Amino acid sequence: MTKVFPALVLAALATGALATAALAQRAPAPNPNPFAGNAQAVAEGMALYNRSCTACHGFNGTAGEFAPGLGQPGRRYNRRSDAQIFDAVKNGIPGSAMPAGAGRLSDEEAWKVVSYVLGLRGTAVDAPAPGDAAHGAEIFWGKGACGTCHMIRGRGSLIGPELSNIAGMRKTNSILDALTKSDHRVFGDGGAIPHTLLPLATYQRVRVTPAKGAPVEGLLRNEDSYSLQIMGMDQQLHLFDRAGLRAVEYLPGSLMPSDYDKRLTPQEFNDLLAFLTRQAAGRETATPSAVGDPD
Amino acid sequence: MKQRIPRICLAPAAVSRLLGLAKLAACLLMGMTLATAQEIPELVKPDPKNWLTYSGSYDSQRHSPLRQITPSNVHSLAAVFAYHMAGQRNLEVTPVVKDGVMYISQYNRIDAIDARSGNIIWQYQRQPLNDGAQRGTTVYANRIFVTTADRHLLALDRRNGSVLWETAVHDNLQLAGGAPLVAHGKVIVSGNQPNGFIQAYDAESGKYVWEWHPVPHSADEPNARTWAGESWKTGGSPIWLSGSYDPESRLVFYGTGQPNPVWSGATRAGDDLYSDCIVALDVDTGTLKWYFQTTPHDVHDWDSEEMPVLVDAVYQGRPRKLLLQANRNGYYYILDRTNGQFLHGTPFVSQLDWSSGLDANGRPILVPGHDPSVQGTKTCPSTAGATNWPSPTYDPATGYFYVVAQEGCGLNYLESSAPDAETGYLESPREHESWQLYVRALDALTGRKIWDYRQIASHHYGPGLLSTAGGVIFAAEELGQFSALDARTGKPLWHFNTGDMLTAGPISYSVDGRQFVAVASGTNIFAFALPRAPGAGRGR
Repeated sequence: MTKVFPALVLAALATGALATAALAQRAPAPNPNPFAGNAQAVAEGMALYNRSCTACHGFNGTAGEFAPGLGQPGRRYNRRSDAQIFDAVKNGIPGSAMPAGAGRLSDEEAWKVVSYVLGLRGTAVDAPAPGDAAHGAEIFWGKGACGTCHMIRGRGSLIGPELSNIAGMRKTNSILDALTKSDHRVFGDGGAIPHTLLPLATYQRVRVTPAKGAPVEGLLRNEDSYSLQIMGMDQQLHLFDRAGLRAVEYLPGSLMPSDYDKRLTPQEFNDLLAFLTRQAAGRETATPSAVGDPD
Repeated sequence: MKQRIPRICLAPAAVSRLLGLAKLAACLLMGMTLATAQEIPELVKPDPKNWLTYSGSYDSQRHSPLRQITPSNVHSLAAVFAYHMAGQRNLEVTPVVKDGVMYISQYNRIDAIDARSGNIIWQYQRQPLNDGAQRGTTVYANRIFVTTADRHLLALDRRNGSVLWETAVHDNLQLAGGAPLVAHGKVIVSGNQPNGFIQAYDAESGKYVWEWHPVPHSADEPNARTWAGESWKTGGSPIWLSGSYDPESRLVFYGTGQPNPVWSGATRAGDDLYSDCIVALDVDTGTLKWYFQTTPHDVHDWDSEEMPVLVDAVYQGRPRKLLLQANRNGYYYILDRTNGQFLHGTPFVSQLDWSSGLDANGRPILVPGHDPSVQGTKTCPSTAGATNWPSPTYDPATGYFYVVAQEGCGLNYLESSAPDAETGYLESPREHESWQLYVRALDALTGRKIWDYRQIASHHYGPGLLSTAGGVIFAAEELGQFSALDARTGKPLWHFNTGDMLTAGPISYSVDGRQFVAVASGTNIFAFALPRAPGAGRGR
């Protein structure tokens, strides 16, 4: 593999091209979309979408003020094919606030928006990064020390996000960001309004001092105005009522290192990415033995 | 001279039956002949046991005179029922209640349930099922109104859901999700497409009466001069929330929305009237009596829809008829509602950087450098605003104005450097700078902050508020905690986790002398009351 690979993945997946190609390949009937799998058209579709659709839908496919997000993992879509989404863009959805766009978007433009919307829905496993996933697993459990916080299928730690289905939930560029960017942020539903309860996505570091006993440090799993749920660094779940606490401190920074592109060689980094982009529930991984048995 | 419906015609159905069909028919006939310009006494001075309109009363104080639930007993408040609205999605509806029956509206739909037990009584469903954000309806004598997703307005008989009239919306416009307001015999509705509008229909017959639109329909209208060229033609200014009403002056008060294009003002130089205004309209004609613009030439999507709250108070030594509004742009305004005169304005959030203050007329003094840009421009408050559509409440006993305050900033982007570029915004410029919601009590006559209640883990919009004469504020929290706060101190007194999102405002009503508090959460309506006395169990 080459040193430039991460950049290439970023460029390609930022436009959703690989994901679109993967989806298009699964379509049973000939795809009427002349731009299926066309990266340039996806990029143009993104611009058209952000110009034409964000009065209701959110920016970049997130949930908006009046309409749902269009590329959210976990959401079940009534319209899945290019033709079905094209119909919604051109003709609107009767009985809903979704207007017909025929007057404003040409057919060509509408197909590009379709390509973009479908591209939003792909996740990493739809186009796993090339590389030696078995070697990537060694890096994950060994040099990268990922398993000191994360768990995959029962092996590893309880503290950080569970990663058994990470490639089914995230796009490759999102996984890349988590490995390389300190200001990395996982958007849930995104957009102006969350339409479901927020996922437990923050992993905020926190130190809680009870009225009696020693402080507990860990990661916030959830909280509200009356209680906290914390996974301690001791790998124990701690449930607190705020009323009985002396102090709650929210600690700055993340436990997640953001310099894996530096602490690993390019080869190691690419192989780790190859491993991670194959971790999806309900799928045979390319290298089943790479997962390994629980300790 | 106000005409009133004879009391006998407003009697419950059982009484009407006793009176006999002939008298009932006479009343119905009279209802027809009194078709226009009538005020319903029960709407002017609502019985505390009922919650007949979106805001509970014409003044939109969202204050219940009920006082059974107090700071000293609210700790024992318990859930009585949950009613599931099958097929809906994160309800934003305020239910209405009359005489023990609760009506829950959506587009194309009303469910009538027993407000004590949650048992369904009737359901009206016009096809198809629609799960858009429809926020409420209103009762008018024996009528209740439905806004549809296919450009119609309906009146149902509130006793059985029978369709009394059905009207195609004038000019084939789509109604927004705001609750209809019935005032002086008119059903007042509003919408967004293609530009904002308010329309009135005769409550008895469904006949179209008037329309008012915030952006001009022709170059001859005086406000056309406040838009560059013909930019008014696509001027926007959506109107998507219900309003308030003053029966004495017969003025309805509504907020209007932002001008289009939303984030770029390059093609629409000028104040862009009447976008982002509070407007007073004559209820009978729709004539604009006065306007007050909160954000002239808005480029941040700061709709001025936030509920105008009407309060009569001694202000600076003399009795005045006030209109109070906590605006999305971060300012709290006090106006004279008889003429729109600006009396006072002050920020109600700590993070407000786009303006250095208000001039003598209430016009914001701009701080340069806050126009959206291709690279993104940080502005506080964010586009979602310092508050948004969730209703505030005013408690006459404390004299406090309670508002859901949203502290935070946003990044506003332009999609390109084209003069009419659209685009969007991000909620906060940096990680760990997410918005934070508070229930904030302000001194209503100065805007001074009295107390804050931080809604931990609430970061978006937040549901609306309710005050009660018992001295308890009900404050729903976004992620499911329904909280009761002490109206004087903000101290939390009770809470219940509904297990689903709370995106609506609570109400209070009573049946057989028992006070209830209800709120929509997720796809359910929850109702709460104090426990019954021991032994008040099942009868035969």
